[in-house]
Amino acid sequence: MLDLWPRAQLACYYYVMRYTSERATDPGLLVLASLAGGAKHGYAITLDVEQMAGIRLGPGTLYGALSRLEAKGLIEALPAQERRRPYRLTGAGSAALADQLQTMERVARDGLARLRAAEATA
Amino acid sequence: MMRRLAAAALALYPLAFRRRYAEEMKALLEEAPVRALTVLDLLRGALAAHLRPGDGPQGVVGVEDRLRASLSGVLACWIAFAAAGFAFYKTTEDAPFARAASAHLALGASHLVVQALAGAVSLAILAGGLPVALAAMKQARHRRSLRAPIGVALGAVGLVCVLTGALVLLAHTPHGVHPTAPGRAGFAVWGLAVLAAGVAFALAARRALFATSVSRARLLIALATATLASAAMAVIALATTAYAVGLGLDAADLAGTPNGPIGNPSTEATLAAQVAAMAITCALAVVTSHRGWRAVSNTASGSSPATGDSTRA
Repeated sequence: MLDLWPRAQLACYYYVMRYTSERATDPGLLVLASLAGGAKHGYAITLDVEQMAGIRLGPGTLYGALSRLEAKGLIEALPAQERRRPYRLTGAGSAALADQLQTMERVARDGLARLRAAEATA
Repeated sequence: MMRRLAAAALALYPLAFRRRYAEEMKALLEEAPVRALTVLDLLRGALAAHLRPGDGPQGVVGVEDRLRASLSGVLACWIAFAAAGFAFYKTTEDAPFARAASAHLALGASHLVVQALAGAVSLAILAGGLPVALAAMKQARHRRSLRAPIGVALGAVGLVCVLTGALVLLAHTPHGVHPTAPGRAGFAVWGLAVLAAGVAFALAARRALFATSVSRARLLIALATATLASAAMAVIALATTAYAVGLGLDAADLAGTPNGPIGNPSTEATLAAQVAAMAITCALAVVTSHRGWRAVSNTASGSSPATGDSTRA
């Protein structure tokens, strides 16, 4: 019985970390976060995401995410500049990004606090 | 090399996706380094775009072009399905299989259903495709863009006829088509060449279809016959499955023996591969037919652009 509690805590931390890391590497979220800094075209988003999160989005992943976000009305395309088309956040996109980041922040804060508490009692 | 593969992977995306994003994606590929992982990422993205069309751009493809995409999709599926069906015919053509079919009702009936429906599917494809093909050939007199794809399609058909004639001649030589090594090699070369001709025909027919002005009514008639063909393909796949199961139950010794012109591992394994190929191609044909009808019903309800004739495939 005594062994179960640390195991349950570990499982809980594992879930928290997996949840935050999966959400943090979601291409849609990364693209929204990149566009929060201003309108960008595909290649600029790729470079920005790489600098921000250390993840290089492939063209299939990037345009899959752009397509989903555009279909949901979270981003919109601006007039094309030659062959490249910049994208920017819509009002709904800004709200969705803020909501997701606040959730992640809450989960990360609570998870870290629990980790510290567990280390202190160990 | 990787850039060419990436360009080929781009061509695998759905029509709506390509129309909306292909130019941007090409520009991105020109700016960024292209590696094997980039090509894999594009292939994965193309598969995801096909599996979740709702996530893709809406209203980019008009109903006529959606019908063209469905028709060329069913045609490509039928070509792949016919290859699997021909392999089934070759696997089960010998005398022991005919005797087994006479002795066991289920085997005989399922084989008969496959043969009868194979003819019906071919007629349906011909009935739906011929008016469109004739319209394309008529317009090719005045439009240069149509001549190349029509030439490739006719060339592919001619190549299949010539190679099949050569194979028949080879079969009537003292060596025969099988079981000698030259006979097997000849059959393998014929099979690969026919598959390549089939792919060339499907691609050329698609290009010609998108470059041809055809009325919506004619496209709808073609889609109706393509839908019937898709349904018949599903029944053929079921009958082939019934035949494979029946052979395993009623003629187990025959199912386990090596069979076919290139010395297959076993009849059972060969039939399983043929059933899998048929199931996949007929499922794709049913899905692409359904998407054509959905575009028509969306247009009728006003949630999709009514027209969108284009020369870009």
